Amino acid sequence: MWLGLCLFLFIYSFEFNQGIEIYKFGATAWPRAIILLMAIAALGQLYHHWKLGDQATSQIISAAVDDGAEEAAHEAHHEGLKWYASTLGLLIIPFAYMRVPDWITALVSAEGTSVHVIRIICAAILIGIFIYTMRRNITGAMLTLPLFFAAMLEDMGFYSLAPFFIIGVMFMFGERRAKPMVLIAALIFGLLMLLFVKILYVGLPVGNIHPFYDIGSWAVTILQ
Amino acid sequence: MDAFNNFVTGSISLFSDPLGILIFFGGVIGGMLFGAIPGVSMLTLAAILLPFTAHLSPVHGIMLFSVIYCTGVYGGAITAILFNIPGAPENAPTAFDGYPMTQKGQAGKAVGAAVMCSALGGVTSTIIMMAATAPIADWAISAFGPPEIFALVFFGLAVAASVGAKTFWKGWLSILIGLMVAVVGLDPVGGIERYDFDMPYLLAGIHFIPTILGFFAVSEIFVQAEKKVKGAYKAPKISIAFPTLGELIAHKFAIVRSIVIGFFCGILPGIGATLAAFMGYNEAVRWSKTPKEFGKGKLEGVISSETANNAATGAAMIPLLALGLPGGALTAMMVGVFQMHDMEPGPLVFINSGDLVWVVFAAMFYANVSILLIGWLETKTIINLLRIPFQFLAPMILLLATVGAYAVRGLTIDVIVMFLAGVVGFFLRRSGYSVAGIVLGLILGKIGEQTFAQAMQMLHFEWSGFFDRPIALGLLVVGVLTLMGSIYGEFFKKKPPTAETPVS
Repeated sequence: MWLGLCLFLFIYSFEFNQGIEIYKFGATAWPRAIILLMAIAALGQLYHHWKLGDQATSQIISAAVDDGAEEAAHEAHHEGLKWYASTLGLLIIPFAYMRVPDWITALVSAEGTSVHVIRIICAAILIGIFIYTMRRNITGAMLTLPLFFAAMLEDMGFYSLAPFFIIGVMFMFGERRAKPMVLIAALIFGLLMLLFVKILYVGLPVGNIHPFYDIGSWAVTILQ
Repeated sequence: MDAFNNFVTGSISLFSDPLGILIFFGGVIGGMLFGAIPGVSMLTLAAILLPFTAHLSPVHGIMLFSVIYCTGVYGGAITAILFNIPGAPENAPTAFDGYPMTQKGQAGKAVGAAVMCSALGGVTSTIIMMAATAPIADWAISAFGPPEIFALVFFGLAVAASVGAKTFWKGWLSILIGLMVAVVGLDPVGGIERYDFDMPYLLAGIHFIPTILGFFAVSEIFVQAEKKVKGAYKAPKISIAFPTLGELIAHKFAIVRSIVIGFFCGILPGIGATLAAFMGYNEAVRWSKTPKEFGKGKLEGVISSETANNAATGAAMIPLLALGLPGGALTAMMVGVFQMHDMEPGPLVFINSGDLVWVVFAAMFYANVSILLIGWLETKTIINLLRIPFQFLAPMILLLATVGAYAVRGLTIDVIVMFLAGVVGFFLRRSGYSVAGIVLGLILGKIGEQTFAQAMQMLHFEWSGFFDRPIALGLLVVGVLTLMGSIYGEFFKKKPPTAETPVS
């Protein structure tokens, strides 16, 4: 995988292989040196794996080794191909939201409010797929949820999405009691709004499709 | 003696002025708070305040920024220790051992050590700064050009490769990923677009704040989520047992070493507190008799990192005030404050505005002392955040990170990059790669390439030019020896017996 990545990066470096008058190494020398070192390190890792398997290097300082990430993956049986395929499937959802509405818009030559409708319908369908799939892979869903939230942020805005995002994360972490979820979501959202919008005047995305844009603008007007 | 008299005069000027006192405490508390909020660092506060300093006197404006600098560097340690979220890049090494200490129920000890060592590093650095600004600045600025800074970066990376990953090769791969990410955007010499994949956003490069938030904070939430799925999640134990004086005295060599490293790094323009913290931590590992305990919650890790990054703050003022060279973003903003008042930082400041210099020096001294006083009180209250169940804390951390990433440039793509870095970090961590190595590569990659290009132009593209510069040569040789030592250990050193490979 690493060697494949090196090859891709090396081939892509020809895209910007231009000389610089005052610098004879040009724009490619530095990245290509890194690619070369990366290839050497990848071969070294391959050799290490062939010789010693998964054993840690003896003189290495184990800041990452013992942080529980590997152990947690092992205990949760999240190492099989099935789990990786399911997680990859879930991770495609946010990227689908970033691309599919644009393709449909171009395909049907939509304009104005119909573009907004297409984006809302796409979001609704993808949320449905996400909820249906997440039951079998909660960790994969946890990886996907923040990315999905970030992908929709530009369109739907922080003010409309954040409360649902908070509830979603709590649900992923095993909270099922509705009342605490709603109360805590309101508390976190309220505190963040107070600190960042009211006191620090941080401009957060309000969204750019109706009715989310109106909700965001209304929230900003109320707070500021 | 002159320095002491000037310091006393500066202290009297500072505390006889009610507005000065108000600005001083505002800076102390603001720096600590903003330093502790991930993403929204002391730089955010400084940027917000910059236009308002036009309405302040030059003394008040510069003093405010220097106080924010001292306390902001400390503030970032709190979230690094409690939640594995470094408030700023210079607090990243603090999380290596600080967060495992929290998980072991020693949060109080870690935060207490951060409070004491930040104060100690900062106070010592300020005292040295007051005593030796002129001669040290003269030496460092004349002796350290781009070749030396590049050699220092190389040495820092060579040492860092042995920290954090499961194998030597994974350590290097982690650093090289960071270096490669730093390549994205415009080339520093010719402005040529590299690896932008025709996306305008990537032209400006990948910003390190969303990346750091993703690799540290977000990936940590994902790891905890996985533990929760299996029911293996354990809430950290609460403890406000601060370190004893004896424990700190036992680490006196680590403290002194980190002060020297921090001060030295702080004095070099463009290097500053981040490399100081990483080098302070790395040297602690190298000098330790029990290096394998680092990363698992060793107090010395927190002590070394926090002493070094605060020791860099006083030193960073030396090139700024003595030669007008800013060492980092915050000191560059200070140049802006000077210019707003029709002043230029440099040697003339000592002659024309001696009062200003000594009030600022005194304020920095007291700001570091106040870390000790206010930090103790703040720690007692802030540790209670750990009592909140993780299912309620997780969304709060994720939303804080979202706001932090978005506030950097006002781009939602930064939020996407942050969460993507979180996903990548999650998979790399479970495979034994080092997220700290990636972040260090990312931060030092830009400095490294820029100084390498400047060095080669300066040396007329003759590699032998490095041999004529003893400091650069020395650092390169030590870096190469470190690298060779690691390679020797990987290929030729006998592996210790493990359960899987019993010795016959």
